Amino acid sequence: MSLDQRIGTIVLVVAVIALILGAMGYMQASKIASIEDRISALEERIKALEERAQAPGTTTTVTETRTERAVETVVETETVVRERVRLTVIGPWSGDEAKYFQAVLDEYMRRNPGVEIKYVTMRAEDLATSLPLQFAAGTSPADVVITPWAWWIVEMAKNGYVEDVTGLVNKDEYVAGTVDAVVWDGKVWGAPFTMWLKPGFWYKKSFFQANGLEEPGSMDEFMALLDKIKGIPGVKNPIVTGDSVGWPISDVTEHFIIAVGGPDLQLKLINGETSFTDPEVRTVFEQYLVPLIRDGYFSEPIEWTQAVTLWWNEEYALYFMGTWITGMVDNPDDLGFFPLPGAKGVVGGADYIFVPKTAPNKEEALKLLEFLATEGQAIHVSQPAGKIPTWTKVPASELWGPMQTVYSKVVELNLQILPDLDDSVGGDWQTLFWDQLKLLWVNPDSLDQVLATLTQEFPGG
Amino acid sequence: MKSRLRENLRAYGFLAPALLLLGVFVVYPIVGTIIISLETQSGLGLGNYLEVLSEKSPSKALVIPGNLGGPPPWGALVHNMVWILVHVPLTTFLGLMLAYMLIHVYGRSLVKSIVFLSMIIPMVVGGLIIRFIFDSQVGVIPRIFDTLGVESLARTWTAYPETSLASLILGSVWLWLGFSLTIHSAAVDSVPRSLIEAARIDGASEWQIFRRVIAPAVWPATLTVMVMTLLWDLKIFDIVYAATQGGPGGSSTVLAYVMWLYFARALDYGRAAATAVILTILTLAAASYMIRRSLRG
Repeated sequence: MSLDQRIGTIVLVVAVIALILGAMGYMQASKIASIEDRISALEERIKALEERAQAPGTTTTVTETRTERAVETVVETETVVRERVRLTVIGPWSGDEAKYFQAVLDEYMRRNPGVEIKYVTMRAEDLATSLPLQFAAGTSPADVVITPWAWWIVEMAKNGYVEDVTGLVNKDEYVAGTVDAVVWDGKVWGAPFTMWLKPGFWYKKSFFQANGLEEPGSMDEFMALLDKIKGIPGVKNPIVTGDSVGWPISDVTEHFIIAVGGPDLQLKLINGETSFTDPEVRTVFEQYLVPLIRDGYFSEPIEWTQAVTLWWNEEYALYFMGTWITGMVDNPDDLGFFPLPGAKGVVGGADYIFVPKTAPNKEEALKLLEFLATEGQAIHVSQPAGKIPTWTKVPASELWGPMQTVYSKVVELNLQILPDLDDSVGGDWQTLFWDQLKLLWVNPDSLDQVLATLTQEFPGG
Repeated sequence: MKSRLRENLRAYGFLAPALLLLGVFVVYPIVGTIIISLETQSGLGLGNYLEVLSEKSPSKALVIPGNLGGPPPWGALVHNMVWILVHVPLTTFLGLMLAYMLIHVYGRSLVKSIVFLSMIIPMVVGGLIIRFIFDSQVGVIPRIFDTLGVESLARTWTAYPETSLASLILGSVWLWLGFSLTIHSAAVDSVPRSLIEAARIDGASEWQIFRRVIAPAVWPATLTVMVMTLLWDLKIFDIVYAATQGGPGGSSTVLAYVMWLYFARALDYGRAAATAVILTILTLAAASYMIRRSLRG
């Protein structure tokens, strides 16, 4: 091979190599460009995911790993959606009542997709037994607790177990006096939820119509009505007495105290300004309750839910009960009620919401408390739970139909809503009050002893 | 000497887990309860005990001397004593009688299982059942007395002070009979049949066989039933809580219920602890007396 041929071969080889290298470089450049496009597309996705992460109720963690080598770029994205916030709410309702409350929680969960709420039923009596121990141990079985015992929340607050909610509850927006029950040391320790009323004696309109009975306008007419009912065949007693731990008997007693002695007497008894042996209180018992018990106008105490059935089956004509009875009968439109003639007030009581200091998800719990104490009430009162709102911003039109009738009658009669005597005093005196009244109901001759015991054992008495 | 020390150390090593558990879950709470019971506003003292013992409220008083001649309330401690006096002999005797009678019954296992059912019912549920058994609307007992024309007993027993304690005690006989029957059945089955046959050949009546042969032969089992029943009666709470809440007028309250009232209703942990200590002392005293007696043979 000549020198020229050799030079030509070398040039050709170099040219081929250059071409190959050029082609490789081009390919590499295109690949890098396409990877860069993918990276920017993924970056946009990451950004979108991060934006979603800011949305309420969803917590998203975005992790990006990028590895670049000479010839390849690997981009990995990993999206981990954290577990939703799970709240536990303890409340006193079971059965249908729990169903009505669940509607409120469902609405909250709908509005806050990142929150899941579990409802647990626990009576106030059981809460009082178990919760103080758990609080003392630095734990809590629930994030939000609801109980009708405002006094107990205050007791727990005194022990440092309850979260201060002063900033969340605007006292002026609630029915007068309801927030006061959970105020201690100038701070608010709980928020009022919906409230029940104990407006008077309930009756079946159809039964009254069939027997030519009418609501009484005076105490004499009330007595005449009871006598007339006594004469109706099949009726065991005119008024059925509900029995349980004791509250149904105390409710009817308080109604007589308010009707005969006036709202002031009820308030004085609550505040300890009047004793049970006071002549004014004694009159209520001696001239009204005891004669009615002794002469068989009241039935013997019957388990209170069983009593609803018996009364609805017309074995009894009247039943003194709270507004929740509207949700316990087959046809609430057939329900009527009347307070004792002359009554200027009725007892009303709210359930109260509080957040334990040791709640597992305190921040979310406080948000839920705020909702329950305000907008949540509108949902609850629209259910057949027999409740009215304590938050005054809920319009009466939001109330469940039969409750609108009850509420308008209470307003029409200009009845003052008063606190429940035994719920306000609380403690073991409440148990004693119930128990002594149960005794009076089966042994009206024990009046002196009952009144003396209630006076002696009154807190600070 | 060294090997003995090593042996002792090994023994303590094996005992350590059990001692640790006992220490944490038994000794510590007991010591804690005693300390709480002694804590008063003015320091450590017997104030809580004195207050519990001198309490006059019918629902929390341990003894109400003025009422002892009449119907309840007599005070929680007296109610516990009455419970023991009625429940222990009744349950023991009925369990033993049934165990003996069932020897002669075909299908006795089924009968025993039915009686034993009451034992597996949670006591709170048992309390609710008692409430309904003695309810004038749906209860069996008032219906029976209604049929017999005994008006004073044809009403809701748990609602009246004269009958509420009795309804709980009788209900507890039903709830606890399964235990007595089971223990006695095992004991009666182990009595040699030849002994019974020999007594029969000698002309002993069934009652004499029961009294002179069976009862002495099963005495250790009877003693066990009596001790356990007595302890159960002293600690009784659930059925009182579920059926009467100690009422009406404190006529069916018991020591454990008083302790609960102080603890859960009055939120007075000092007096609750003092009541718990009193209850424990009574239980320990009764148990140790019975156990010592049984060990003596």
